[in-house]
Amino acid sequence: MKKFTFSWDRGVGALLVLTIIVGSFITPYFAVSSNISFVIQDIGEIAIIALPMAFLIIAGEIDLSVASTLNLSSAAIGYSFRNGLPFWLCVVIGLLTGLTCGLINGILVTKFGLQSLAVTIGTLALFRGLCYVLLGNQPVNQMPDSWVKLGYTNIPHTFLPYSVILIAILGAAAWITLHYTRFGRWTFAVGINADAAKFSGIPVARMKLALFMTTGLMSGVAGIVYTFRFASSSPNGATGFELAVIASVLFGGVSIAGGVGTMWGVLAAVLELGVIRSVLQLIDVSANALLIVSGGLLLISVVLPRAIEISRGRRKIATQ
Amino acid sequence: MNSFINRFFAVREVPVFIALVIVFIVTSIANPAILSRSGALDIFLGVTVVAFLAVGQSLVIVMKYIDLSVSSTIGFSAWLIGKSTADGHSLTYCLILITIMGLTVGATNGFLVGYMKLPSLVVTLSTMYIVRGIFSQISSGRTIIESEVPSAVSFIGRNSLFGIPYMFIIALLLVIVAGQVMRRLRAARDLYAIGSNMPAAQLAGIPVAKRTFWAFVINSLIASTGGIILLSRFNAADTNSGLGLELNVIAACVVGGVAIAGGIGTTYGALIGALLLQSITQALGALGVSQFWQQAVNGTLLILAISLDRYLSLRVKPSTILRVKK
Repeated sequence: MKKFTFSWDRGVGALLVLTIIVGSFITPYFAVSSNISFVIQDIGEIAIIALPMAFLIIAGEIDLSVASTLNLSSAAIGYSFRNGLPFWLCVVIGLLTGLTCGLINGILVTKFGLQSLAVTIGTLALFRGLCYVLLGNQPVNQMPDSWVKLGYTNIPHTFLPYSVILIAILGAAAWITLHYTRFGRWTFAVGINADAAKFSGIPVARMKLALFMTTGLMSGVAGIVYTFRFASSSPNGATGFELAVIASVLFGGVSIAGGVGTMWGVLAAVLELGVIRSVLQLIDVSANALLIVSGGLLLISVVLPRAIEISRGRRKIATQ
Repeated sequence: MNSFINRFFAVREVPVFIALVIVFIVTSIANPAILSRSGALDIFLGVTVVAFLAVGQSLVIVMKYIDLSVSSTIGFSAWLIGKSTADGHSLTYCLILITIMGLTVGATNGFLVGYMKLPSLVVTLSTMYIVRGIFSQISSGRTIIESEVPSAVSFIGRNSLFGIPYMFIIALLLVIVAGQVMRRLRAARDLYAIGSNMPAAQLAGIPVAKRTFWAFVINSLIASTGGIILLSRFNAADTNSGLGLELNVIAACVVGGVAIAGGIGTTYGALIGALLLQSITQALGALGVSQFWQQAVNGTLLILAISLDRYLSLRVKPSTILRVKK
C-alpha cells in the first residue's frame, strides 16, 4: 500500500507537468504571465483550505462546512465594515470568526462524540444561514482599496499575485508539520487506528480539536483572500467550494479511509485542477465540462487504486 | 409505567413528532394563519420534493452510506421530461428516458460502492458533479418553460384532493409503501443488518454487495421519478434545478431519526423530519422572523438531532443489544 501511494502522488505531479506542456502547446494564451497570475489567484482559497483538510482526512475526519466558514468570515468582515469599524479590526474579526467556527465543529466532534460528516453538514447550513442573518440580501462593497488591492493586484515588478506568498508559507508549514514533526506522525497514527493511537498515549481528542480549529482558521484566512479578491462580501459567495477542496485532497492521493497521504500530492492536485480549469477555459470548453472533469478525476482517484489492488489480488481492506 | 415511557421515547420518531406538534401550537397561538388552508397547502407543497427523495435516501443511510448525487439526478430528470415533451415525444417516452437515466446513475453508484467497495461519499460526490456537468452540457442554458411541461405533470402540481395536493399524496403513498417494505421484506431488513454491522452481515450470509447495488439503484430511480414531482411543483426547469437539494434531503432524514451511523430509521421518520423542517421555515415566516434566519435554524436543528441520536444511542443501545428486560 505504501509503495503504491508513493507512486500515486508522483503520478499527479507527472500529470501536472504534462498538462502544463500540453496546455502551452494547444493555446498561446496559457503560458503567459497574466494567465499564470490568474491561475494562482483562482486556486488561492482552495489551496489554503486543502492544507488543513488533508490533515483532517488523514486523521479520519472530514469538514464539509469549510466553504460556509470561508463565507461567514467574509460576511463578518463585510458586516463589521458596514457598521463602521476600522478595516484592520474587520480583518481580525474575520479570522476570529473562522477560528470560532472550527472550534464549534471540533467541540461537537470531540466532546460530544458526534460524526464529523453529519456535524459539518449541519454547520454547513448553520454558518451559511448566519451569512444571510448578518448581511441580509445586500452585498457589501466599497471596501478600502489600499487593503483589497492586495487581493487582485500582483506583487510589484513580478507577475505573481500576493496570495502566492501566503500559499508558499502555509504550504511549507503544512508540509513540514505533516512529514517531519511528531504532530504529523500522530495524525497518521490516529487515521490508521484511533483506538490504538489513544492507548499508546496520543491525545486524540485534543489533536482532533486542534485540527478542526486550524481548518476553521485557514477557512477564515481563505475568507479574507476571497473578500479582497472580489473587493466585496456577499451572503452567497463560495458556494460549493467544500467539494472542490475535498476533490483536490482526494485526487492528491489522500485516502478517505484515513492514514494515507502526502502534502506534496495535495499541492500538486490543487495546482493540477487549477491548470486544467484554465486550459479548458482558454480553449473555450464550457464551464460544464469542468464539472465533468473534476468529477471524473475524483472518481479516477478512488477507482484506479482499488482496481489495481483487486487486479494484484491483494487482500481486501475493509473500507468502513 | 416507567418502562412504557422509556420505550415510548426510545422510538426515535416520537420526539420529532412532538417537536412538530409544538411548532404548530406555538405558531398558531401567535398567528393562526399557519393552520389555514393556504398555510397547510404551502407546507404540503414545500415538503413534497424533499420527502420524496428522503424515502430513497433512507434506504442508503440505513446502510451507513450516503448518496449526494440525487440532486443532480432529479434536476436532470425534470429537464429531460420538459425537453422531450417540447420535442414532441409522448409521456411514455419521457418516462422510459428518465428511468434509463436513473438506472445508469444508480447502477454506477451501486457498482462502485457495492462491488468495488469504494466510499459512497466520494463516489456519489463525483457522480453528482458528472451528472450535473452532463446535464449542463446537454441543456446549454436552455430553460423549460410552463408551456413545455406535459399536461399530466402540471395537473399533479395544480390539483388537489380534499385540499391535499396530488403530489403530496403521491409522496405519502411512496413513504407508506417503502415504509412497509422496509419493515417486512427480508431483503430490506438486510439493509439494516448491513448498516449495523457490515462484517457480521457478510458472515451471516447476506449478499452485501448485491443489496448495496440495488439500494443505490432504487434510490436513483426514486430521484429520477422525482423529476416529475419537481417539474410539476415549479412548472419550469433549468440547469440549476435541484441544486443543493441533497443537503436538505439528508437533513430531513437525520432530523427524522435515520441515523447517519447506520442501522436505524424509517421512511415515516424521514417524512416527519422533512415536515418539521418545512413547518419551521413556514412558522418563522408566520411569526414574523426574518426569512434570513431559516437556514441557520435548519442547521441548528440538524445538529440538535444528531446530538439527540447520540444521547439516545448511549442510553438505549446496551439494553437492546443484550436484550435486558426489567
